[in-house]
Amino acid sequence: MGKRVYIAGLGIISPLGEGLAATEEALRDNHSAIRPLDLFPLLHGEPLPTGQVRDLAEQSDLPRTHRLALNAARQAMASSHTPPDAIILGNTTGGILTTEALLRAKADNKELYRYHGLNSVAEYLAQELGCRGIPLTVSTACSSGAVAIALALEMLRSGKAKAVLAGGVDSLCRLTYFGFHSLQLVDKQGCRPLDADRHGMAVAEGAAMLLLTTEKPARPLAELLGAGLSCDAYHPAAPHPEGRGALRAMQAALADAGLNPTEISYINLHGTGTPENDLAEAKAVRTLFAAPPPLSSIKGATGHSLAASGAIEAVVAAIAVAKDFLPANTGCRNPDPALGLTPLRQPTNQATAAVLSNSFGFGGNNGCLVIAKADRFPLPAPRQGKAGLAIHGYACLTGAGDTAATLALLAQGLPVAGTADLAGISANLPPNLVRRLKRLPRLTLSLALSAHQDSGFEAKPGAVFMGTGWGALSETHDFLTRLTDSGEQFPSPTDFVGSVHNGPAGQTAILFGASGANITASGGDYSFEQALFAADLMLDEGQESALVLGADEGHPVLSPLLDPSIASGTLLADGGGGFCLSRKAAGAQCLVRIPFYQCSAAEGGIKALIDALGGAQTLNGKYALLLAGIPAAVREEGEGQLAEFLGQSELQAPIIRYREFTGEFASASAVAAVMAASFLRSGEVPGPFVSGDDLALAGKKNAILVLGLGRYLSAMEFSRP
Amino acid sequence: MNTLTAELKVKIIDILNLQDLSPENFDENDRLVGGALGIDSIDVLEMVVMVEKDYGVVINSQEVGEKIFSSLASLAEYIKENTPGSSS
Repeated sequence: MGKRVYIAGLGIISPLGEGLAATEEALRDNHSAIRPLDLFPLLHGEPLPTGQVRDLAEQSDLPRTHRLALNAARQAMASSHTPPDAIILGNTTGGILTTEALLRAKADNKELYRYHGLNSVAEYLAQELGCRGIPLTVSTACSSGAVAIALALEMLRSGKAKAVLAGGVDSLCRLTYFGFHSLQLVDKQGCRPLDADRHGMAVAEGAAMLLLTTEKPARPLAELLGAGLSCDAYHPAAPHPEGRGALRAMQAALADAGLNPTEISYINLHGTGTPENDLAEAKAVRTLFAAPPPLSSIKGATGHSLAASGAIEAVVAAIAVAKDFLPANTGCRNPDPALGLTPLRQPTNQATAAVLSNSFGFGGNNGCLVIAKADRFPLPAPRQGKAGLAIHGYACLTGAGDTAATLALLAQGLPVAGTADLAGISANLPPNLVRRLKRLPRLTLSLALSAHQDSGFEAKPGAVFMGTGWGALSETHDFLTRLTDSGEQFPSPTDFVGSVHNGPAGQTAILFGASGANITASGGDYSFEQALFAADLMLDEGQESALVLGADEGHPVLSPLLDPSIASGTLLADGGGGFCLSRKAAGAQCLVRIPFYQCSAAEGGIKALIDALGGAQTLNGKYALLLAGIPAAVREEGEGQLAEFLGQSELQAPIIRYREFTGEFASASAVAAVMAASFLRSGEVPGPFVSGDDLALAGKKNAILVLGLGRYLSAMEFSRP
Repeated sequence: MNTLTAELKVKIIDILNLQDLSPENFDENDRLVGGALGIDSIDVLEMVVMVEKDYGVVINSQEVGEKIFSSLASLAEYIKENTPGSSS
């Protein structure tokens, strides 16, 4: 039996106000909340119009993003007595507004930067709400909020969770304010989506959260009926001019919901107000809908709150079906005849059974949601149970160099830590493709190409799942430095486009023409695990292969400030691992699954981990090697957990603390995963690596366990097909 | 070839990291945007910033960018005509 996914709670804070009632009232008023920026002072010129939240109490040393997120989360959880099983949050800015000020003040106390990371927002929510499950952070630029909700839908359908809090958040900051301005995408007269005179977007902020449950609440607000993801695989910032990716995502969402276009009562457009987006989206809508239903973009009222917008608009879609109310396309006076659409000019009361809500972003990342009246439509037939993930190719990069160089040193029991050589990384990359790319995207593309080559697959991968703890640090650093050095006058548009966490995965999609799901996760030291988790949720049975990548760059200035595991004097290290996967075990090198991911503070966490691995007896008969991930910042805690795990499981197998080989960087676990895959391929673990004899991976005891220890407990299992 | 053109060749090769190109084989009349060099809208914006920073000439790329950046020669011409205090 398939499962219905209900919307049991909603939370929203945006330029329109705080809460559902204020939001609905503002939409009924049809006034724009876009005003000149006054959140931070500018060195030059008139402030540009932005969508700024006015209702956020200023009484905390937490970054604004965290406070916006908690505000929306508390609203969504207001009528629930138990914490959610998981939190899935779309986010692109993390604590960067705070970081920008710290960098300008040349603050070097790294404690002050502890809320910089994107993952820190979801982890903060988890802590405040008592959530013990995975805090999955999705960063796919302006579609992040919608993609987070799409992941939550699959997690609930799969039975991995019964209640998930999902949504998106972003705060205004200099990076996005000046970044979009440098792209000449900001309309100085506000934001006028679909208008013939539109000149761009208004950068905004906000947060929205949905409590999604498979158990039917007493009064469900609406039902999340379907979701569809796609990637343009066309350009890092501009949409495909014909809206091909947008069309595919809308088609996928309708198919997932089991609806025909004629059953959609209203489309909430992405409608940013940029000339290119609105035109591409209009073409896609007209291709899919012979006679489009009523439609509007609310971004003329709210501005574009980036990672929050998909979630904010999902809340608006829920209001639409709950209240039979359609918001107007605020700001549009003269609809552009070239678009061939008729946006709603006035707020309208109208029976609304199902809403399609569109979100598109940088990197060509598209996410569409279908939200409907609860139980109104028949449940689509459940999909077949999914087979496990099978690894067909792998590659890694470390301070030692490429896969062969890395494995050669490991076989001698020698460390591979250090920063990978950029010329070496770039050797297999087309020069014209990478001329604008700095360190992280080059690492990522190199891994992707090598992993695919290793698979021997002729067909290109269709989907990309990427994990990165800190994103493109070079681009972020260079953007902020040039912004400051030029007195805020000449920030680099290239660095802005490159600074988004999903830039490398977007480039990978362009390289392969990978037009399926394209998801970047950022989970600190568990980023690769999060990417693998997302891949396991979203990769369909019949789908062609996918790439699962984990990479981080070591940046001489930012890494020691941001990564708590890098102390002064720590050798700067970076690199990552990449895999070509499918759900076909035939011909695979090994199988991988991620049976456990939970907050380590949860009571009985180690016992739960052992249970998830089948109990002490099973795991003793299965695992020949344990690769333990203990980041330096949580050494004591991690060692304690490891001792407890070994005590309770009585595991008889060599234990390797893999960061002693890889060095300290967030996605070191991706390299550990490549170690495991390579040992399984060769059939043995080299003796010097485990300071003993060669270890044959034969008989029944032939699997490798990779544990993540510290703030969270995670397990990845690699085994023979 | 005038000084401005020669100067722009060096700057553009540098900021766009056009590794295969040298000022000597950079023809100012060749198609710049959308041509063989693979220069796209982001590069145009990077050049817009450079032109404003180094020559004080503001270009609105949404409205006139395509025409001005059709070739390096047309860009040089536009800068010359619009430089503050220029006589033309």
